[in-house]
Order: sequence, then C-alpha cells, then structure tokens
Amino acid sequence: MEDRTGRGRGLGLRPARKALDPSSSIWKPMRSCPARDPKQTSAEAFRERSNPHLDDDDNLRSPNSPYLVGTCPDMCPAKERAQREMLRDLSVFERLNGNPARTSPHLAVKKFCRTISTVDIQESDIRSPPVLQRTLKHLINLVNSEEHPFEVVHDFVFDRTRSIRQDLSMQNIIDDQAISMYEEMVKFHVVSHNRLAMCWGKSDLSSLCHLNIEQLMKCLLTLFKLYDLNRLSRSLHTNEAEFYSFFVLLHLGGKIPKMGDSLSLWYRQLSLPILQSKKMHFARALIRYSQMGNYKRFFCSLEAEASDLQLCLVEPFLDEIRAQAISHVNYSGYKLHPYPLMHLSKILMIKESELEDLCHVCGLETSIDEAGMKALPVKQTKFSLPKSGFRSYCLSAIDDVKR
Amino acid sequence: MAYLSMGEAHRRITDYLSRFSDAVSSQDAAVLSPLLAVSSNSASLQSLADALNVFQDSNRLVGQLERSSQLAEILSPLLRCIQSYRLGRFADAYVVLEKAANAFLQEFRNWETPWAMEALYTLALEIRLLAEKADRELASSGKNPEKLQGAGSFLMRVFGALAGKGPKRAGALYVACQLFKVYFKLGTVHLCRSVIRSIETARIFDFEEFPVKDKVTYMYYTGRLEVYNENFLVADQKLTYALMHCSPRKEANKRMILKYLIPVKLSIGILPKQWLVEKYNLIEYGEVVNAIKKGDLRLLRQALREHEDRFLRSGVYLVLEKLELLVYQRLIKKIYVLQKQKDPSKAHQVKLEIIVKALKWLELDMDIDEVECIVAILIYKNLIKGYIAHKSKVVVLSKQDPFPKLNGKPIGS
Repeated sequence: MEDRTGRGRGLGLRPARKALDPSSSIWKPMRSCPARDPKQTSAEAFRERSNPHLDDDDNLRSPNSPYLVGTCPDMCPAKERAQREMLRDLSVFERLNGNPARTSPHLAVKKFCRTISTVDIQESDIRSPPVLQRTLKHLINLVNSEEHPFEVVHDFVFDRTRSIRQDLSMQNIIDDQAISMYEEMVKFHVVSHNRLAMCWGKSDLSSLCHLNIEQLMKCLLTLFKLYDLNRLSRSLHTNEAEFYSFFVLLHLGGKIPKMGDSLSLWYRQLSLPILQSKKMHFARALIRYSQMGNYKRFFCSLEAEASDLQLCLVEPFLDEIRAQAISHVNYSGYKLHPYPLMHLSKILMIKESELEDLCHVCGLETSIDEAGMKALPVKQTKFSLPKSGFRSYCLSAIDDVKR
Repeated sequence: MAYLSMGEAHRRITDYLSRFSDAVSSQDAAVLSPLLAVSSNSASLQSLADALNVFQDSNRLVGQLERSSQLAEILSPLLRCIQSYRLGRFADAYVVLEKAANAFLQEFRNWETPWAMEALYTLALEIRLLAEKADRELASSGKNPEKLQGAGSFLMRVFGALAGKGPKRAGALYVACQLFKVYFKLGTVHLCRSVIRSIETARIFDFEEFPVKDKVTYMYYTGRLEVYNENFLVADQKLTYALMHCSPRKEANKRMILKYLIPVKLSIGILPKQWLVEKYNLIEYGEVVNAIKKGDLRLLRQALREHEDRFLRSGVYLVLEKLELLVYQRLIKKIYVLQKQKDPSKAHQVKLEIIVKALKWLELDMDIDEVECIVAILIYKNLIKGYIAHKSKVVVLSKQDPFPKLNGKPIGS
C-alpha cells in the first residue's frame, strides 16, 4: 500500500494513507498525530488555527486524537440499526416492508451525528471507503425515485451524505476516492438546488434551500482542497474546472448567501489555469452579463455553453434576470411602441405566456396590439420586484418547440 | 569565520544580556529595539549568534545574571531564536521567538507607561517577517505552513493589550496594520473586520491621535477592502486620503495606492492623466484609459486579456470589466458627433444598425438585439438620455445633454 504525501496545507492533514480493507485480519495500530505545542491543544487555539473556509463542522476529530480506520461492513453499524429499530427512529427509506420498527442491512444508512466527545467512537462504527462508496451509490439512486415528494428524499440524502463525509474525515481519506465521492455529493446538492427552487409555493422550502446552498458551498471548498492535495503535475483534474465554475455561478444574483468574501478576493488565490479554463471563463462571463444587464448575451451563452449541472444552478436565477430585462425595456422604450412580447420571449428564452405572467407579477400590464399580438406598453411606472420571489420558469426556446 | 575563543563568546553574550537589562531598567526603547530586531542581520546580532554557537550553555548565563532573572523568560528563547535564525532554521527560530514575544508582552502589560512601544513594534514586525520565512521553509519541505496563522493570533493578543483606555493605545494602529498584512497574505481577509470595528466604532480610539504613517497604511488596506466589496465611493475617500498623506519620498507606496485608486476613479468616471500613469509605471491602466477615451471596446477587452493575471491577482479585474459601459457610451457619443457634423437636425436619431456597423468595424460581432439591449442598459443607468423606438430600430437622444457624465456616482450602481 503506497503512501501518498498530501501537502496538507491549512486543513492540518497528515500524509494520506488509503484505508484498509476491512476483511484484513491483521490489526493495524492507530497512527497518532505528532506532538504539538502545548499552547495549541486547547480548543480555542484550534478554532483560531482552522481556516473558516475549510471548516467542515462535520470534522469532529480533535487535533490530538489519532486517525481511525473504519471496519464497519454495512451502510449502517449493527449497533445503531438495533437501537433505531427499538426507538422506531427509521426513515421511510429504511423501513423493511413499510414496518416502522424493522430495517435491514440493505436499507439502513448511518445517520449524521453531531457528538461532542470523540472518546467513545469505535472503529466498528466507521465505514471503510468501499462501504462508503456503496452507501453513496444507494443514496444517489434514491434521488431519482418518484415515490416520495422531493423534499423528503432530499432531507434523507442530505443527512446521510453528511454522515459519509464525517466517516471520510475521521479516517482522513483524502485521495481520489474522496474526490469522486465529494463530486457525487456536490452533484446531489446542485440538483437539489434546482429542484427545491422549482417547488414553488411550498412555504417551508426556503430554509431547506438555504441550508442546501450552505452545505453545497462547504462541500465545494473541501473538494477544492482535495484537488490540491492530489495534484500530480500542474494539470487540473478532469472535472476540476467545472466544479470551480459552480462556486462562481452560486454568486449570481444577490439573494444567495456568500461565504464571507467577495469573488474578487477569491479569484486572487486561484491559479491561472483554473481561472482561464473554458468552464470558468463561461461562468465568469455569465456573472458579467448578469451584472451589466446584458440579457441577450446571457441567454445566448447559457444556451450555447452551459453543461447540465451548470444549468441546474443557473435556472433558479433566470426569472430575476428576465425581470431585470423587462424593467430595462419598460424604462427605455418609446411610449407609442409597445414592446412585442413574442420578440422578447425569444431573447429571454421563455414561453410567451409565461413572460406575460412575469410582467404581471412585476406589476406591469400587458396589452394586445393591432395585429392581435401581445405587447408590453412601456414607460409604466409601477414596476416592482415581487417580494416573495419568482416562480422560476425554465429555459425554453419558442412555445412548444423543443430545444 | 575567524576563530572565536570561549572567553570571547562568553563576553559577547554577557555583554548583550547586560545591554538588554540596562535598557529595560532605564526604560530606553531606542536601545532595546535593535536588540530584538532578529531579521535585521545587524553585525552585532550576527556576532552574537556566532558566540552562541560556540558557547552552548547560554541559559545558564541568563540565569546567572541577577538583574535579568525576571527577563529570563524573554532572553532564553530570544537567544535561541537569534542562534537558529543565523543557522537558517526559520521554523525553529519562529517558535522560540513567539515564546520570547509572549513573555515580553506579559512584561509590557505590567509596565505602566508605554515607554517600550517602539520595542513592541519591532517585535510585532519581527514576528510577522519570521513567520513568513518559516512558512516558506515549511511549505518547501512538504510540511503544513501554519506559522503565519500563529503570528496572527499573537498579534491579536498584542492588539488586545493596546486596545485600552491608557496611553498605550496610540500603538494600536501600527499593530492593526501588521494584522492586515498577515490576513491579506493568508487570504483570510474577513478577519480584518473585527480589527476595523475596534478601531472605527468602539469608542476607545480617536483616529486623529495616531501617527500619520500608520494612518496612511491603515487607509490603504481598508481602502483595498472597500474595492473588493465594490463600495467605490468609500474606497475613493480612503485611498485618496492615503495618497494625499503619503510621504512624498515614498514613491513605491504611492504606486501601490494608485494601483487601486485608479480603477476606483475610473468607476466614477474620472480618468487619470497620461503623465500620472507613466510616472508610476502603471502602463496596464494606460491602455484601459485609452480604450475609454476612444470608445474602443476591442482595446479594452485586449487590455483585460493581456493583463488578466495581474488584474486578477490584485483584485481589480471585476472593477475594470464594468467599464465596458463607459466605452459603449463613448462610442455612441462619437457616432452622434459625426452625425451632427453631417446633418445637425437629424443627429439625435441614431440607427441601431449604425452602432452594429461601428462595432463590426472594431471586429466585434454583435447583433441588433444585443445592441438594443446595451442601449437599454445605458439609458437605464443614465449614461444616455433618450429612448429606443423599437419598431424603427432607432435610439432617439435627448436634445439636451444626451450623454451625462457620471458625476461621482459609480458605474453599475
């Protein structure tokens, strides 16, 4: 088993060691951290030391405890299974034949647990990487199931993937396996971001959305560190540029909470190959177009260049930029020339009927011109952005014509 | 290295220890400071380091000298630091310097007057410089570079010691600036916020009391933060303050300030004169300014492409990107002026097609929809006064002042 030295900056990570095959019968001793300056063992010093950008609060391991090597062979440790059966604490996805008090090793998935002390954690409670991969696959399959409302699925997968990250971090797994798992989990959060935003009308979702974005950003930042730690030459990992672009695209619009610093500051630390990659150029351009209000270029490049995942992230924002476009058109137009909605809807890549609705939502009236076509009378004074947000119409070309 | 006898080594060490403790008892910061300036590589410190290599048991000497037994906590690690530094072992040197500095800070707290402020400044600076060297050393040998972060924690403690009601508070701004340098280097710029809050909003400090030098540095860093957060009016105030109060001899510092001030000024529509750009060797901005003057979008984009790395590193790229609107405004104004020369009565009507043609001539491919979109933005942001007659595909300019100046209002607001 080859040792791979990670450079371990900032995360305080030691050189990576691939986790052991749980079927190995040899008991490997735990590796302890090198002795540290006594001043730095207090919790306060640890908090000061850790970089907030990287702070995965799922990382419970104190700087002095040794790394664990998980031996749990199931998606959920047997002990926890038994306990939760007894307490009837089983999610719908974990119930055997719908029985709220019975589960099985093929259904139960370890819960995320924010424990305070790490003293009681045993290696038999922690899943090895192959098991974690199996678990992740199981969870991702659930996302596509149509049986339950999406929020319920999301909630379950959200929690259980957090537990996976916890197990990864306790074993200090920071190699390619970690990268591919984190990429999968980021994809889950990206898809969730899109689907939660599209579930308009359900009041409780805004907090779910918010929490999802928060978790998405945390995963991304950890993933970026993983890319760095596993870098062989100066080249980027296969998906690295795209995942960096996700971070940029999250800054579209003002509503989305940022993790502290502005994009300008974040760019300072990035390497040129990443900043100049196609995916990043695209994301940076989209931000530029949206901030300037160049809705024409925005939609054109979105349609031409966006990957499916990038589109997932951008879609919830589309109506905001469409509303901005309506506002500009309304302000700059000529009173005697109501603006044809058909024409605008093509540019904004929205159905004409939906554009009409959007105008109304923004407080503007629409009219019918002499030719019977829908139009927006300009220079109206009552434009306002709707307080409760937008309905999030998707990207579409012309009415009933497939993209 | 010339041969150094035990006796001579002994003499040098006891000499240093005496000077140190004498400086403390006579409260002479001017004598004390150079004794702490580890990285200054002064001849006396170098010769001391040589002596320490020969005479290994310096701790005993420190203990022996009666007067310095209180100062032993400072001096023992300090001597080890001087020795390690000379041997090029920066990570080791940093660790012991932090020990010495902490002990010094303890004593500083106990001294009633701020007599030792200059020495404390020296220590604060040394901590930062040595931490940077230590991190470089650690990183190059594949280890975790966390010394600068530790330096930040130490400096916060120093700041805390000075942020009180007594006369010691005059030193707080210097330390704040050291902290800014650390945080900017580490990229943990958000940590500046609590320092700024202490300086600006807590009622402890009167900003005018601080030395000018420190105020300039402070305004420079906080001005930069405002640039990153795109608060251009405040950034303008702070950076202009820094520029005006910067010592005339410090050309390099002025350049650093201008590097951020110029993009800020550009955002509020003020163009620097060519001689300024040339004098301070900020050629990259010269091309940007030219592009705006000529209304040449191609030039602007070229400049951004060519200097992309530099602009991204300093964090002004996004600011400069926004200037596209100014360039569009200038281009349309030129078209208007040309039309006025040909036929003043019709000049205020500019066909969108003409703008498309002008852009094509600049090798920029924009269709009429996009041009209409851009003109709508310009009207919305009051860079053009007029309206777009969509059916006739014409922008009708106001007869009075169709291209208003920004007048101090930042573009993009």
